[in-house]
Amino acid sequence: MKDSLTLLSRLSAHPDSRCWFLAWNPTGTLLASCGGDRTIRIWGKEGDSWVCKSVLGEGHQRTVRKVAWSPCGNYLASASFDATTCIWKKKQTQFECVTTLEGHENEVKSVSWAPSGNLLATCSRDKSVWVWEVDEEDEYECVSVLNSHTQDVKHVVWHPNQELLASASYDDTVKLYREEEDDWVCTATLEGHESTVWSLAFDKSGEQLATCSDDNTVRIWRQYKLGNEQGVVCSGSDPSWKCICILSGFHTRTIYDVSWSHLTGSLATACGDDAIRVFEEDTCSDPQQPSFSMTAHMSRAHSQDVNCVVWHPKEEGLLASCSDDGEIAFWQYQRLE
Amino acid sequence: MASHFSGALQLTDLDDFIGPSQDCIKPIKIEKKLGKAAAKIKIEDDGNYFQVNQDGSAQKLEKAKITLNDCLACSGCVTSAESVLITQQSHEELYKVLKHNQAAESDQQKLVVVSVSPQSRASLAARFHLSIVDTAKKLTAFLKKIGVHYVFDTTFARNFSLLESQREFVQRFQRQNEERAALPMLASACPGWICYAEKTHGQSILPYISTTRSPQQVMGALIKDYFAKQQRVLPECIYHVSVMPCYDKKLEASRPDFFIKESETREVDCVITTGEVLRMLEEEGVSLSDVAPASLDSIFNVALEQELQSHSGGGSGGYLEHIFRHAAKELFGIPVEEIKYKPLKNKDFQEVMLEQDGKILLQFALAYGFRNIQNLVQKLKRGKCPYHYVEVMACPSGCLNGGGQIRADGEASKDLLQRVEMLYDTIRNAMPEQNSSVGELYEQWLNGPGSKKAEKMLYTEYHAVEKMSAGFNIKW
Repeated sequence: MKDSLTLLSRLSAHPDSRCWFLAWNPTGTLLASCGGDRTIRIWGKEGDSWVCKSVLGEGHQRTVRKVAWSPCGNYLASASFDATTCIWKKKQTQFECVTTLEGHENEVKSVSWAPSGNLLATCSRDKSVWVWEVDEEDEYECVSVLNSHTQDVKHVVWHPNQELLASASYDDTVKLYREEEDDWVCTATLEGHESTVWSLAFDKSGEQLATCSDDNTVRIWRQYKLGNEQGVVCSGSDPSWKCICILSGFHTRTIYDVSWSHLTGSLATACGDDAIRVFEEDTCSDPQQPSFSMTAHMSRAHSQDVNCVVWHPKEEGLLASCSDDGEIAFWQYQRLE
Repeated sequence: MASHFSGALQLTDLDDFIGPSQDCIKPIKIEKKLGKAAAKIKIEDDGNYFQVNQDGSAQKLEKAKITLNDCLACSGCVTSAESVLITQQSHEELYKVLKHNQAAESDQQKLVVVSVSPQSRASLAARFHLSIVDTAKKLTAFLKKIGVHYVFDTTFARNFSLLESQREFVQRFQRQNEERAALPMLASACPGWICYAEKTHGQSILPYISTTRSPQQVMGALIKDYFAKQQRVLPECIYHVSVMPCYDKKLEASRPDFFIKESETREVDCVITTGEVLRMLEEEGVSLSDVAPASLDSIFNVALEQELQSHSGGGSGGYLEHIFRHAAKELFGIPVEEIKYKPLKNKDFQEVMLEQDGKILLQFALAYGFRNIQNLVQKLKRGKCPYHYVEVMACPSGCLNGGGQIRADGEASKDLLQRVEMLYDTIRNAMPEQNSSVGELYEQWLNGPGSKKAEKMLYTEYHAVEKMSAGFNIKW
């Protein structure tokens, strides 16, 4: 089984520091990494090897926790423990910090761009989730401050094709938000995890959501619209989200990240036990009660906690990971026939 | 438990992710005894602290009582101080005083004065399906029945807040070329906004905030200074309660700036929210609808008219409109009839302009709710704020939607808010300049507008809170 995940290359991305997060640009030509050394690095492929194309070092005073590319690929947003979010504009090969978003009381934990590119979401240890609107002149205005969580908010991510936002928190819940009149409202709270929810990922259709937690499980949630055939109760006109599968017993420590490939449907996880795992939905499983099998397990993927895994947006089976050891690794996943 | 504070205050609360000690920086009171070596402190699973003596015996440590002053001076949490509010400012406290009065000799009794905000009255009126006037009369009767001596309306004090805001704006406008922070002038009536500005932005924002007191604190001065003298009682012998639409007003009343040192008393001793008034009614088993009305009190001796009055410009006090009209006339000689609001990003961010020959003379805005405050503050810091005046309020939709108002019961909160707003607007608007009692008070009480006394009674100061730097803020 181990042969299904092959190491392609490994590089020291943030030496003597942690590498916290990775993000592919939409075309998959560039990979952005960020770390405890307060820098963001942009990696590109030259021949068979990945090389550092630029270092964005002058934006943040503290750890850069997450980075996110805009859907057009011309902007990169970075969330930092210095309480700010920087917006970087790509100019040929260089990046220039065009705006610094202030307002969070303390550490910004995550940032995410809506599919339209007009909205940006950030979240923080201050327990709030903020939605920002971008205008034509690169001016950002806060359109909503959402105080639904009761603890540190770890991650925010947008639905792949709707203006629906999801957030994961230290309060063990996931919350979903949408716009109502001229403000944003929390429309659903996903309860079930028994500890911090560290990350989440939608599948390609946006009908399903995978969440990963400090309780060592991954949960799969499915959206049920009003009047669904299965008879799942919805309150009001908003869809209801129901946990349809729990992946437990596979991970021995906190699961920090989950990535759901929009090309193949494979799920990859990043775990505090230094391992990377891949799961596939079983071919004849019931969509309302799916079963998943672990198809790859790279037990010593890194020498320390794996913080992030991310599938390449265009190349099937290409996976990037990063770790507390400061390294980035590239893997080729081979789906078992 | 969900917090009652406005959004701005909720955000200043730090979370307890790094350590529970961040909840409060002074959790334990240690009685220092002479001649003892350093003791060990043990924390039990239930969160109780024990001091372990050298002989091995242990004694439970008393939790320190945190006052609201401590909270205001600390850059840490505010909202986890809710228990402090409950012990220091609540309807229970009012009951304690009323109970004391029943048992005490007459010379030991306190004169109990309640000042009711017009927003609270509108909320109660909506709840009991009464008119505003009936609500005022019935509430007065109810409060007097439980032992309150006088019930006043803070709208009267708001006349002073509006007049002084107008005066302050014109002065700031005139010195805008000499003083960088003269404009924009930002409203000062919302304590949630003030607390946020002090804790989070400090000197980069505070100089812009109007120094005019809020109606609650003008009322405090009126009661503990003017009214005390009129009644021939000492300020500390009056127990002054205000009924407010907002929990943050409790913090405002606790500010050291509103503590009269000479007589060791606060200008407003206790703030109770509209919701707490409802709870009092429920605890007494009384429906406001069934109470027989009483006549209204007037703070000014000459009971001119008993009619309730209001001010134009919406449920947050009408600061923008009053200052706009006054400034247009005073600075440019232009009388303004109707004020046209232009909604911008959302309904809580609107703009008003005075133009002449294509030139903008005055540009005002109202910014309600935390998101709009945020954009305003960021624009201001970047030098991109085009406004001369901004009516800032921490709550979305302003004070009628305050966190202390009565919650909807089986009704959509939007619909309830609309009813509260409609009820609020049923009261006749009057210009503060035309209130003869106010004019007489300026002369009799304050020695005329602009005097030292007026400065002391009608203005206040702000204090930046230094950020906590030690201990908890681990840098990585």
